[in-house]
Amino acid sequence: MIRFDSIRVTFDGFTAIHNLDLHVEPGEFFTLLGPSGCGKTTALRTLAGFVDPSAGDVFVDGRRVTTVPSDKREVGMVFQNYALFPSMSVWENIAFGLKVRRTSGAERDRLVEDMAARVELSGDQLHKKVSELSGGQQQRVAIARALVLKPKILLLDEPLSNLDAKLRHQLRGELKALQSDFGITTVYVTHDQDEALTMSDRIAVFNKGEVEQIGTPQEIYDASASEFVCNFIGDSSSLTPALIHRLNESTPGSPLDPARLSYLRVEKAALDLPGRDSHMHDDGSVSVSGRITARNYHGQHSRYTVRMHDADVKVLVKEDGRHGLTLGEEVRVRINPAHVLQYAGTA
Amino acid sequence: MRKPLSAVTLAISAAFLLTSCGQGDTAAEGDGSAEAGTLVVYTNSNSEGRGEWLQAEAAEAGFDIEIVGAGGADATNKLIAEKNNPIADVVYGLNNVYYEQLKKEDVLEPYTPEWSGEVDESLADPAEDKAYWPLVQQAIVLAYNADTMSADEAPKDWPELWTEDEYKDRYERVTGMGAATTQLVMAGILSRHRDDSGELGVSEEGWSQIEQYFNNGVPAVKDLDLFARFAEGEVDLGQMPSSSIPGREEAYDVTSGAVAPEIGVPYAIEQVAVVKGTDQQEQAQEFIDWFGSAEVQGAWAQEFNSLPVNESALEQAKPEVIEFDEQFTHQDIDWTFVEENLAGWVEKIELEYMQ
Amino acid sequence: MTGSTRRMLRSPAVIITMTVLVWFIAAFLLWPNANLLIQTFFPDGQFSGRAVEKLLSSERAMTSLANSFLLAVALAITVNAVGIFIVLVTEYFHIRGARVLWLGYATTFIYGGIVLAAGYKFIYGADGIVTKFLAGFFPDMDRSWFEGFFAVLAVMTFATTTNHMLFLGSAIRNVDYQTVEAARNLGASPWTILRRVVLPTLKPTIFAVTILSFLTGLGALSAPQVLGGQDFETITPMILTFANSTTSRDLAALLALVLGVATIAMLSVMTRLERGGTYHSVAKVAAPLQKQPIGHRGANIAVHVAAYLLFLIYVFPLALVVLYSFMDSAAISTGVLTLDRFTLDNYVRVLSQQSALKPFIVSIVYSALAAIISVGGLLFVTRLMLKYRGWLMSGLEYLLHIPWILPAAMIALGLLITYDRPNPLVGGFVLSGTVVILLIAFVIVKVPFTLRMLKAAFSSVNGSMEEAAAIMGAGTLYTFRRILLPAVLPAAAAVAALNFNNLLDDYDTAVFLAHPLYQPLGLQIKANTDGGASVEAIGNTFVYTVLLMLVMGTVMYLVYGRLNRTRRSPRARRVPLQPVGGSAGTPNTDMPGTATVDGTSSARVP
Repeated sequence: MIRFDSIRVTFDGFTAIHNLDLHVEPGEFFTLLGPSGCGKTTALRTLAGFVDPSAGDVFVDGRRVTTVPSDKREVGMVFQNYALFPSMSVWENIAFGLKVRRTSGAERDRLVEDMAARVELSGDQLHKKVSELSGGQQQRVAIARALVLKPKILLLDEPLSNLDAKLRHQLRGELKALQSDFGITTVYVTHDQDEALTMSDRIAVFNKGEVEQIGTPQEIYDASASEFVCNFIGDSSSLTPALIHRLNESTPGSPLDPARLSYLRVEKAALDLPGRDSHMHDDGSVSVSGRITARNYHGQHSRYTVRMHDADVKVLVKEDGRHGLTLGEEVRVRINPAHVLQYAGTA
Repeated sequence: MRKPLSAVTLAISAAFLLTSCGQGDTAAEGDGSAEAGTLVVYTNSNSEGRGEWLQAEAAEAGFDIEIVGAGGADATNKLIAEKNNPIADVVYGLNNVYYEQLKKEDVLEPYTPEWSGEVDESLADPAEDKAYWPLVQQAIVLAYNADTMSADEAPKDWPELWTEDEYKDRYERVTGMGAATTQLVMAGILSRHRDDSGELGVSEEGWSQIEQYFNNGVPAVKDLDLFARFAEGEVDLGQMPSSSIPGREEAYDVTSGAVAPEIGVPYAIEQVAVVKGTDQQEQAQEFIDWFGSAEVQGAWAQEFNSLPVNESALEQAKPEVIEFDEQFTHQDIDWTFVEENLAGWVEKIELEYMQ
Repeated sequence: MTGSTRRMLRSPAVIITMTVLVWFIAAFLLWPNANLLIQTFFPDGQFSGRAVEKLLSSERAMTSLANSFLLAVALAITVNAVGIFIVLVTEYFHIRGARVLWLGYATTFIYGGIVLAAGYKFIYGADGIVTKFLAGFFPDMDRSWFEGFFAVLAVMTFATTTNHMLFLGSAIRNVDYQTVEAARNLGASPWTILRRVVLPTLKPTIFAVTILSFLTGLGALSAPQVLGGQDFETITPMILTFANSTTSRDLAALLALVLGVATIAMLSVMTRLERGGTYHSVAKVAAPLQKQPIGHRGANIAVHVAAYLLFLIYVFPLALVVLYSFMDSAAISTGVLTLDRFTLDNYVRVLSQQSALKPFIVSIVYSALAAIISVGGLLFVTRLMLKYRGWLMSGLEYLLHIPWILPAAMIALGLLITYDRPNPLVGGFVLSGTVVILLIAFVIVKVPFTLRMLKAAFSSVNGSMEEAAAIMGAGTLYTFRRILLPAVLPAAAAVAALNFNNLLDDYDTAVFLAHPLYQPLGLQIKANTDGGASVEAIGNTFVYTVLLMLVMGTVMYLVYGRLNRTRRSPRARRVPLQPVGGSAGTPNTDMPGTATVDGTSSARVP
């Protein structure tokens, strides 16, 4: 549906995107994820037609659109702050694109009402000023405005980033529901890994103008392709060569290379508590002893830091009221070498 | 308590400044003038170098004067407006109508100058306690451009300007009522139509004359001299005080004639007086004694072609000036009537006839 | 709220300040204007319709009124056309040399009012340099071509786009660029985007500047006086005519009242519109506007040509004035401009001749005093207003805005007819005929702007600082002096500097109130525009203009140039740009501004 072919974007001598190749399948919810300044927004704006690439081509539905103006690419866009026209009513906002396309009045009314109904905007709300709407309603207006023109692709540029945490959570679900409802190919830009993991079919992780990894959320999380991806997504403990040696000792034939940089996702380590079920022991994990040096209480769980072989391994323990561990206490931690992520050392 | 107090001072000092300035300045002004002895002189007769000449001559005689010039009516209004706090010490040059107004408003301080015996007392303040005394007199005439119009072709009186087609759009009409000359011209016309039952003592016919005067004339251009317009050929006729004619003929290189109506022309008798409330009364009186003296008036007449009232000064006046004056008769105008109504006339003209 | 009022009255310092404040309001803001009303309608304690009858039956007065409204309406249209255009070419479209264009259009910040009207007359008037030059080629041309309604409208149009540059310029910079992109994405053409997306969001600001332009036209004084000629007379010059005669002052007062009522009506319309119609950007974070290229080649060329033509119109008179200030008298009178005529004589004359320099000094002294008094006097008052909010304070605050809703002519006239006799309100002194009365008027007209600016400055001071000082035991006045005052001082200095600039070339107030021996510059320049003025006087005016621009430019640079460099300092922020030269006749020496200047002031910023 969408193809970036060796796209390169430069602004005044600064290269924002080096050499981007990307392929988005029809109907897919595809996320561009990365920290600010990584080039993800530039990639989206290149697709939307607001940025001219200095090299390469963009294809939409097999058609080369590299030099086609924005409104002829059949892409709809929802902006970071929704970019609703403050001087127009909700209805006028949604009808704007139809009006400039000179869609007939009756047809326009029908399309706007139809679209409003699909995004669940009431007739009452249609005649309000946009400033009178809540954040969620504004988002729906922005989506309706983009979709009423029946684009092939919907582009979303961090639409949730300016909202407070609670609303962000709520709208995340609403947005995803609308997308699957319409079944439209969607490219979504965010710096929020949580959003990316929960909403996307596939994610492209950007760093410094290059794509580090493309994959499903689970692939990105469990098999982060680079140290950057591993650190950017989720929480992990850095393991020392001494600890890797220790793991290798207990696991004959273990492929772990102590010279490489090693990480372990926090939820993969587990306390080896006396009196617990021992079936865990059979999965090839290794029990390593250490000393508790810190505890962060989170309500549902606590995160303990356990010092072992010069490494600070973080362990999550469910606060089910059964255990009270104290600082300085000796504990055993189970680590499965198969869960250890390893990357080429840079040091 | 020292610190809070300083803040208070800061807060109120500004507002206080306003009042203290008020006192300070008036006081300072008084002090300053007492020391330096600067006399402030209001006049409508300072143009064509008169002001500069007077200032220089006065300085030689030991008077430090500052001249504020304005049209006759404007100067009068200014003096009345300032009567509770006069700036001027002396006023000269206005005609008797204005002085009468000023006197009524209690702006003038009675004084009899040393040279009072040398002038025709009937031209001075008619009251017992005389406040103003005459300096010069001049006819207010209808001048024409003699280079384009012979004496025969010229009109015989003002009304012909708007009744005879040949003069329509050839005469300059005023655009402001502030000048003394203008008001005298108007008074000269309106007096002819006195009708005590009419509006402001003037019959409808009289007002219709004024209306036609404004409708048929060429508007004056601010500070563009009538004689300059003669030279340019823009107009051929217009009002002029007689003493200004010789200087202008020379300056603009035109020859002019003056209409001498049978009914006569209004005369402006220019006076001098001390302003009431001046803090340098003595100096003001000395200045008037000097200015009105035969010697100074004679020199003034030589310099500015004036016709002095002072009999000994008249001897020094230019013969051609005297000769020029002899062709006119004094129009018989009831000055009390004029003085009573002038403000109303001016206002009515400003509002209704001037466009 | 009554509690805070009661608490306030416990401190002696506060009581003294309040007493002075109440006296100031009563003596200078309320009574003179009320007295004006009384003098008009109840001259002898009894109702009189004389003034109304007189005016109604006067064709000339009615024509003047009609002319004033005609000028107001026409000006509202032309200023908008030119103003919106110059804002678009400097802020919205991608135009080559936009910086240079901006500088050209911005000359009105330091070149306005009577100075500008005089400049235009010297260039295009009947005896103007350009007219003489043209007459050399076309001897039959009408030499007074630049006179009357057209000339007044043209001059005032180009003199008063300052408001657009200030308010509309800032509004357009705040347009969220994402809305432009969104519209483009939805298929709108550049023209549609401008017309349907960008301009509608600017509508409240456009409304506001329209009303300001209207009021400017309505109260115009210097431009019609200098360039109106015989056929185009407006109200304010007529007020002046009648104000001079003691017997006709009621007419002047009535005309001033008409002006005042019209001004108040328009301003209340503006407030209403502002309250109802502001489009708050929905965006929490707006993307900065990017300049739009004009795609159509022909349109692009046309806009460039028009922009540079306007630039020439703005800069040409000014450039000529500057150049001719260095030419000798013969060159000025004949309109020649050559290098061998170059001379510094004009400057030497103005700077060495006492009579030529005096008006300049008088203006500087008046402006500086008024600036210092208005700011100094209001510093503590503003502080009290913020500290003790209550019915008393908000009432007084409203009253302090009176000068802002009244035309300068009316304020001046009120003072003139009230204080030309001993009055107990001012200690039994007569103010007319003194040098103080003009100073008082200057302070009065600066009160609203100063109050608003100082309020903003105090509000921007971190409140915790004060609380911190209080916890450590500092008294109220000590805190004011050591904590608050230093914090607002830079802003206060900036406000004083702007007040100074604004008053420097004042004409509209001075013409009513100036002492005959201490005439400020504005009056001198006006006198020099009259036909009989000597060539030297014209040369002097050119030099005055250059000197004024130097002084004003320097002040502007000190206020804004330095502010921009120390942007991060929180206390130095909130002084919005203020038009300095005034316009060729503002309703008030202050230009009321609009809400959109900065987010902090919800109403207008004068």
